Amino acid sequence: MKNFFLSLKTTVWTLLALICVFFLGSYLMPAYREVHGGMNDRLLFQWVEESAADHPWATSWFFLSLAGLVLLTINTLLCSYHAVKGKWSREDFLLRIAPQVVHIGFLFILLAHLLGAGWGYRLSGALPVERSAKLPDDRVLSLDDLRPQIDDRGYLRDWTAEISIYENDRRVASGLLGPNHPLFYKGMGVYLKSFDQERPVAYLMVNKDPGAIWALVGAALFMLGSGIILALKWKKA
Amino acid sequence: MELIVFILYPLAFIGVRFIIPALLVHGSLIVLSALQFGRIPLIGTRDTLGFLAWAIGAVFLVFGWNRKRGAFTLLTVALILLFLAGSAMSPVMRGPLPPVLRTIWFELHVLLSFLSYAFFGLAAIFGILYLRDEAPQNEREQYRCALLGYVLFSVAMIFGGIWAHLAWGTYWLWTPKELWTTIIWFFYSLYLHARLVRGWSGRPVAWMGIAGFLIVLFTYVGVGLLMKSSHEF
Repeated sequence: MKNFFLSLKTTVWTLLALICVFFLGSYLMPAYREVHGGMNDRLLFQWVEESAADHPWATSWFFLSLAGLVLLTINTLLCSYHAVKGKWSREDFLLRIAPQVVHIGFLFILLAHLLGAGWGYRLSGALPVERSAKLPDDRVLSLDDLRPQIDDRGYLRDWTAEISIYENDRRVASGLLGPNHPLFYKGMGVYLKSFDQERPVAYLMVNKDPGAIWALVGAALFMLGSGIILALKWKKA
Repeated sequence: MELIVFILYPLAFIGVRFIIPALLVHGSLIVLSALQFGRIPLIGTRDTLGFLAWAIGAVFLVFGWNRKRGAFTLLTVALILLFLAGSAMSPVMRGPLPPVLRTIWFELHVLLSFLSYAFFGLAAIFGILYLRDEAPQNEREQYRCALLGYVLFSVAMIFGGIWAHLAWGTYWLWTPKELWTTIIWFFYSLYLHARLVRGWSGRPVAWMGIAGFLIVLFTYVGVGLLMKSSHEF
């Protein structure tokens, strides 16, 4: 059994199985749009509890992919452990460590998905100008202003929303939101999704993803390890 | 001007280095387009297919520098001309970028994605050459192209994730396009690992390099046409 988890063949066949499962998912997602619709709007574990569990065929690809990823995680951990234990020499240090850095980066990204799927929150809704809304952690979000920018030809060029965050009636953060410009406060992000100038109302999203930082760490490790492998292989070639 | 590019690329049949004039003229057209519209010239099928053709030409020059003309040139130039024709037939997208696309993360995401596609394209061509003559050099070149493409593609995915986190509050969206993007990533991960397994190395892996590029093309064109996603293409 230990050999099974340590085998490179297990990696290859698991990756192949994951490709097939994701292929199935790409077909089932649009075919069962009403089941998969909520995947991006709430925490993934909430979606599993509220929608996925009731539609086993439509979401079978998702549970199969989870099983595949668990197997791949065990396989990656054992293979990396096996690769780093034993005697080291100065000559092959980088060549041995770089793939393990890539593996660790990949595992951190999986960990990030796990944390983001089960913890934190994701809320969205419309907020009129000069009104406020309650947030988790005893915070209040207030929309102070909404400013669309129109160009010379009358096209909407950009838009910003001015917001404030309060804790215990004290303003703790404020700033401008816009496309690609969220406001972050203590791990929470506030995003401007769209707006309606007539009413005037901003459609906001408030998000706390405890996995995001680990995804970034994983990505950095992945890039570092890949860069080293690339340099070494190129030099060798 | 595009017609000149169509005429210049086949000059590579004389010798690999004769592709340089085509790359210079085509590259200048891409830069001029960027200056004209004031944005990265990688929006829509016309821009991206044109850039992909140019990138394949550039990778061809690097990998073919010391090669004699032959099937490698024939296949690569045919691929370039195919993408150029696709680009020429696609509609022009004028005007500035929508605000959500105006960020360096988006620009790096698409630039690196299409550069990686070019490497995957060359990897497929080396795969075809290997299946024909089983020369170890073609297998090695396929591996180098696939590895470089894989690293660039991974970095492109990471930059796309950073952009998505800033734009939509999540570095991952569950859509068919993202699933297919992950399929590409899994597939080339599979390629890199399978190469080390007895029974998979050699011809099966060469076939995988070819299949990988077909998956890339389907993800690029097919998924956008057939499945709704956050990506337009």
